[in-house]
Amino acid sequence: MNLWLIPLFPLLGFLINGIWGRRFSKALVNLFAVGSVVASFAYVLWVLSALYPLTTAHTETYFTWIHSGSLQIGFDLTVDRLTAIMLLIITGVGLLIHIYSAGYMEHEGGYHRFFSFLNLFMFFMLLLVLASNFLLLFVGWEGVGLCSYLLIGFYFGEDFANNAGTKAFVVNRIGDFGFLLGMLLIVVHFGTLDFATIASAVASMPVEASAGVLTAITLLLFVGATGKSAQIPLFVWLPDAMAGPTPVSALIHAATMVTAGVYMIARAAFLYGHTPITLHVVALIGLFTAVMAATIGMTQNDIKRVYAYSTVSQLGYMFLGIGVGAYSDGIFHVMTHAFFKALLFLGAGSIIHGIGGEQDLRHMGGLRKYMPITFITLLAASLAISGFPGFSGFFSKDAILSAAYDYAPWMYWVGVITAGITAFYVFRAFFLAFFGDYRGHHHPHESPWVMTLPLIVLAVFSVGGGFLNVPNWLAPMFPNVEHGSPLLMWISAAVSILGIVIAYYIYILKPGTAESIAAATGPVYKLIDHKYYVDEIYGALIVRPVEAFSRTVLWKGADIAAIDGGVDGLGHRLRGIGAIFRQMQSGSIRNYATWVVLGSLLVLFVLGLAGGGR
Amino acid sequence: MNSTDLLALLPLLLIAATAILVMLAIAVRRSHLASALLTVLGLCAAFGTLFIAAPLVPRDVTPLLTIDSGALFYIGLILAASIAVVFLCYGYFKQEEEHRPEELYLLIAIAALGSGVLVCARHFASLFLGLEILSVALYGLISYERTTKASIEVGLKYLVLAAASASFLIFGIAIVYFEFGTMDFGGILPDSPAGAVDSATIAVGVTLIVVGIGFKLGLVPFHMWTPDVYEGAPAPVAAFVSTVSKGAMFALLIRFFDRSGMRGDSSLVLVFSIIAIASMFAGNLLALLQDNVKRILAYSSIAHLGYLIVAFEAGGAIGRSAVAFYLVAYFATMLGAFGVVTVLSRPGNDLGDLSGYRGLFWRRPVLASVFTVMLLSLASIPLTAGFLGEFYLVAAGVSGSLWALVIILVVTSAIGLFYYLRIVVALYSRTAQPAGAWPSRINSHSLSWTLGVLTAAVILIGCYPSPVMRLIQTMVAGSG
Repeated sequence: MNLWLIPLFPLLGFLINGIWGRRFSKALVNLFAVGSVVASFAYVLWVLSALYPLTTAHTETYFTWIHSGSLQIGFDLTVDRLTAIMLLIITGVGLLIHIYSAGYMEHEGGYHRFFSFLNLFMFFMLLLVLASNFLLLFVGWEGVGLCSYLLIGFYFGEDFANNAGTKAFVVNRIGDFGFLLGMLLIVVHFGTLDFATIASAVASMPVEASAGVLTAITLLLFVGATGKSAQIPLFVWLPDAMAGPTPVSALIHAATMVTAGVYMIARAAFLYGHTPITLHVVALIGLFTAVMAATIGMTQNDIKRVYAYSTVSQLGYMFLGIGVGAYSDGIFHVMTHAFFKALLFLGAGSIIHGIGGEQDLRHMGGLRKYMPITFITLLAASLAISGFPGFSGFFSKDAILSAAYDYAPWMYWVGVITAGITAFYVFRAFFLAFFGDYRGHHHPHESPWVMTLPLIVLAVFSVGGGFLNVPNWLAPMFPNVEHGSPLLMWISAAVSILGIVIAYYIYILKPGTAESIAAATGPVYKLIDHKYYVDEIYGALIVRPVEAFSRTVLWKGADIAAIDGGVDGLGHRLRGIGAIFRQMQSGSIRNYATWVVLGSLLVLFVLGLAGGGR
Repeated sequence: MNSTDLLALLPLLLIAATAILVMLAIAVRRSHLASALLTVLGLCAAFGTLFIAAPLVPRDVTPLLTIDSGALFYIGLILAASIAVVFLCYGYFKQEEEHRPEELYLLIAIAALGSGVLVCARHFASLFLGLEILSVALYGLISYERTTKASIEVGLKYLVLAAASASFLIFGIAIVYFEFGTMDFGGILPDSPAGAVDSATIAVGVTLIVVGIGFKLGLVPFHMWTPDVYEGAPAPVAAFVSTVSKGAMFALLIRFFDRSGMRGDSSLVLVFSIIAIASMFAGNLLALLQDNVKRILAYSSIAHLGYLIVAFEAGGAIGRSAVAFYLVAYFATMLGAFGVVTVLSRPGNDLGDLSGYRGLFWRRPVLASVFTVMLLSLASIPLTAGFLGEFYLVAAGVSGSLWALVIILVVTSAIGLFYYLRIVVALYSRTAQPAGAWPSRINSHSLSWTLGVLTAAVILIGCYPSPVMRLIQTMVAGSG
């Protein structure tokens, strides 16, 4: 089947635009960038139709990649039903976003660079979902993180973008440290990293005996997932990541990369299925993240930040689904979310593009008259994310919620209230942007067809995507899960509609209510408005102590001489060798020698201590 | 010593011959190009003789040296790195030839010879011989820019400290000799196969030896010279110090501990664990505070040597191959990183300040991309050699159940990402330096080709490590 061709096309696009893009015209850059994704998408369709119905996984082995002792890691790619869904999302939604970007980035500098990074991202993301072992998955995993860093920092001149990119990369790296340790524990325990081999090993082993190890492995992998998919406690990077160009937010920080954590856990379901403790943790973290992010979403004024928090919140739902055992519902939500969240961001981008780069909701308003297509499509997306009956979000979210009811009813109720909050803040943004009077200065205009066409296509899927029966397609891969009664779905739909109605009341019928509510709730509002002070807490607990430690203890205690008497001292324009000797006598060299002596005493001490203990 | 021994020794002999030839050539006529070319040819010839020696090993040549496939591998690595450094030096000094750069190549050949002796040593005498051949050449190399005070000062600093640490080492050797009556590594602790440092005398002796080795490796707390030397020495020389000198010493460390029974000694394991942890933390945390790229690379190399100790402690075939692979990756990456610094520097005026790199991408995109690749490799991001190197280290640590060390390795390397990114951010900053701040294009083919090859190596090894790993497994894994 030559599965390797699927990621190869975007890689070629990256190389061509990366090497020669500077000399290309924009049309030529488009040709290679968009063309490579078209090729990849078409090839995915062809592969899937050839492999249909894909009842068993199709694996291709190419070469032994790493060989170390008894550990053999192959460069192997696999397609099964789960991968098929992900491939379609990545190439399909990715293609639409590439087309959209051609319009959106028209007037930006570094056009070829943007597209080459975007293609590189596609390559790593496709590698991630095609990988048939943990290490190859990890390569994709780190690779998408790298591309995310490069693309967030795309507006390199702006310090904020740079800081945001660095923050994203570093926070992700903390998560990856968990992933890496989990992977190593798998090597120790199973002697392989191959998914299929581990799955069969787990199936035939006495699970109770190794429950501890399995729990440790799954928890460590989940740490990685919380980093990549922006869950508590590592969610802080995603809202800042919105500093990047909007299509990047749509593709990487909404539709694809951030769902990698959900995908990874579904992929490792053969491990998670045996560790109810971990699954419980996953469900709790998912649920709490969903609530917390949704409440923060209510107070944000930057349209992209509103959607960013809603992404964090929706990812929480996906983890809730996985945690309660409804893997296929979780993946279903990954898909519908990819449609409506990509649409929300692209729509937001269309607004930002149309009113001269403004992102603040307070400076929008009344845009429905100027941007009818954006208006209609964003309405569809907002209804979808709110879970309005018949729209795609309704099916996937409520499948998760009713599975949660069967697991623990209180989780269902919390989830339903969160759904109501979601509907409220999404429509708050919608009403603020499109209704009332225009409060900005730039003259608004509708976006060109390259941008509106993807909006329309995504709107069709946001509305109808729920009728694609993904859970049924994935059913053979995952254990069955009970769903609560259909009544539950209607309750949550009713709560969502209530949320929309409240938003309508506050922001359209009685403008000004919002301020009085904010004033009335005082401290609570402030707490939420400051995002629960999480950034500040992390700063005080981790960042500053590390800095202080290296500055005072390590630096002042040990290496200070290096600045005082070191090479920097040469600025003093010393004359002649004698002066150099003088300076060295007074300066660092004695200090250094002292350290060597102290160090040897330490070594001697440890040797004596350990030796004496025998 | 028979003719086969001589054949096995051929690589080292040829390096020595290169040094003499270059010296004679300079006596006849000064020519920068000729000296550099002669050195490269000599080192390449020495590299070629590795293939002659390969079928003849392992064999002990005199009681001092043992030449086995592992030693040949490291000699090859040393030669390759030295050749790269010669290329870098040529491009660097070509800008200002009044520095009389000819003898530099002589010193590089001598330093390579000392390193080659080190990796073959099986006896304290050859250890000391190799170490001193290397050190004396380094004194000259580090302070080669006679007109800049920075270079002379760090040269002197290094001289004093290295001499002190060598005296530690030789005193340690004397004490161990006093106790066991032999200077052969294999004769130490012969009666206790488990190995034990149980008398106070031996403990003192071993301590002094550890200090001597730790100093050369730049491990905490013997690391103080590293940042100064890296900052003050000419950029290509700093590349040499950070790779060849440290790599050879590390190979020696492994052989010394494998041959003498000391590996099994639990208190020594503890000592090295403490040194490794201190190096990983101090290297990575102190690098955060630096504003000079050469100093950042210095602290980064302290941290990387700390990582290497993890695989060293794991030992066995896995540990040895992990160390060898990591050294290959580290050599290529460090040479590349210093290569970029070299391109942007002039003799006597190295570009160290981080602010001097701001906006490099906008004027020199290729060079900035090469630097980015090297930094990502140092930060062990996948599809670079550095990532797989770290993977092998961690795998070796796990196979030895060194959980604490492995966790600290992973955590500190996550911290490390931060200061590498600081450089990357500077490279892509919009507030670029004024035009003319940097040489407008790479001024020499030797530099551009070296950087090209190193970049290709870092990426190729990162994507497809099997050939290198296979080579290491046949050559290094089995030789103890």
